[in-house]
Amino acid sequence: MYIKVKELVGKNAMTLDDGKAVYARILDPLTHGETVELDFDGVEVFASPFFNAGVGRLLGDLTSDTLNSLLKFQHLSDFGARVLRRVIENAKEYYGASAPQRQEIDRIVNDNAIAA
Amino acid sequence: MELTIEVPRLNDAHSDFVSMAHIWSQIDAAGDGVEVSFAFSRCGFLQPNAVVFLGGLARIIGHRGGKAHFLVGTMEESVRVNLLQNGFGHAMGAEEAPWQGNSIPYREYFIGDEDAVVQDLRQHWLGRGWINVSTALANEVVGQMWELFANAFEHSNTPVGVYSCGQYFWRRRVLTLAVADFGVGIPSNVRLYLGEPTLSGADALRWAFQRGHSTRVRSGPGGMGLDLLKELVCKTNGAMLVYSHDGCALIDQRGERYENFAPFFEGTLVQIRLLCDDKHYMLSKEVAATSPSQFF
Repeated sequence: MYIKVKELVGKNAMTLDDGKAVYARILDPLTHGETVELDFDGVEVFASPFFNAGVGRLLGDLTSDTLNSLLKFQHLSDFGARVLRRVIENAKEYYGASAPQRQEIDRIVNDNAIAA
Repeated sequence: MELTIEVPRLNDAHSDFVSMAHIWSQIDAAGDGVEVSFAFSRCGFLQPNAVVFLGGLARIIGHRGGKAHFLVGTMEESVRVNLLQNGFGHAMGAEEAPWQGNSIPYREYFIGDEDAVVQDLRQHWLGRGWINVSTALANEVVGQMWELFANAFEHSNTPVGVYSCGQYFWRRRVLTLAVADFGVGIPSNVRLYLGEPTLSGADALRWAFQRGHSTRVRSGPGGMGLDLLKELVCKTNGAMLVYSHDGCALIDQRGERYENFAPFFEGTLVQIRLLCDDKHYMLSKEVAATSPSQFF
């Protein structure tokens, strides 16, 4: 699968919602072993919420080896690559926690979201 | 109920943030439906942090069923002109439209509209030629500054939006940008998230500024934004001041200092200072060392 990210989110890949849109498009093919190419040509501005929701979250679904093998990034700016690496490093720590720990974190988060 | 508040000269020293918190406390104590008149006879200058604070306060007062009046007749000419030039006056009802000067326009964002924020930052903040940056580097700085706005929209639960304003101080070659929200504040979010209601304001802010820490209200990884912003500020020899609820932080090349803040103010006020010295703006060539194919 080839996705031109600019066509999906525009020139700014910055928000959670944009990241979620990418995640929704690529999760299924990746889960079925299909190679996905994200082409960032024309995307100018990057921020961590986009990568957290679009890419970092994939580490909760698939292994690093699988993602290294199936998910390709094209035309990512130096800064975009830097943010992406930082997000992946952080996501690995998050998903590196044991499943019960993660469930507890998510339970607290959801409880607070409901309370708010 | 009617209340008149004398606004003093407000810069960005700690004592100025204390003065702003006192103003907030008076208005908060007056309750809903209060009519507040802001007088400026003792005010010779307002930094952008004070401008966004006053703008947000006016909207909070309106949100609570009251009304804010800015007594233009009490203002020194320099204050009046500055508030007109940056668009604050127009946003508060003055007929005179803003014009271009050394101010970065006063803005009120009611939704997390990244395109509007990016355009404003690029055009009015970086795009004025005060900092000589390449397009790629401008995109980089805008992305990092967006983290501040994203944080305010995602975490603050602000009922009245997010406010920004800036100024270029040409003698010192310093560019500032202030962003404010009147949401729950970072320390409150951290206490709720960690389930530690007695955590001090200083410790709560310290926690929030560590990489990977987030009070997100969704499942999944997060918490990179403030860390990236810290990096920008430190590498450009700038500074970031954060006043949020009962905590405050000063982050610059010398390190990170976190303190308790009293009296508290409900919301978050951040001021970024960047030096307009070209030699500091070298971020974009910092390419990650590993192969592009091995991100994970």
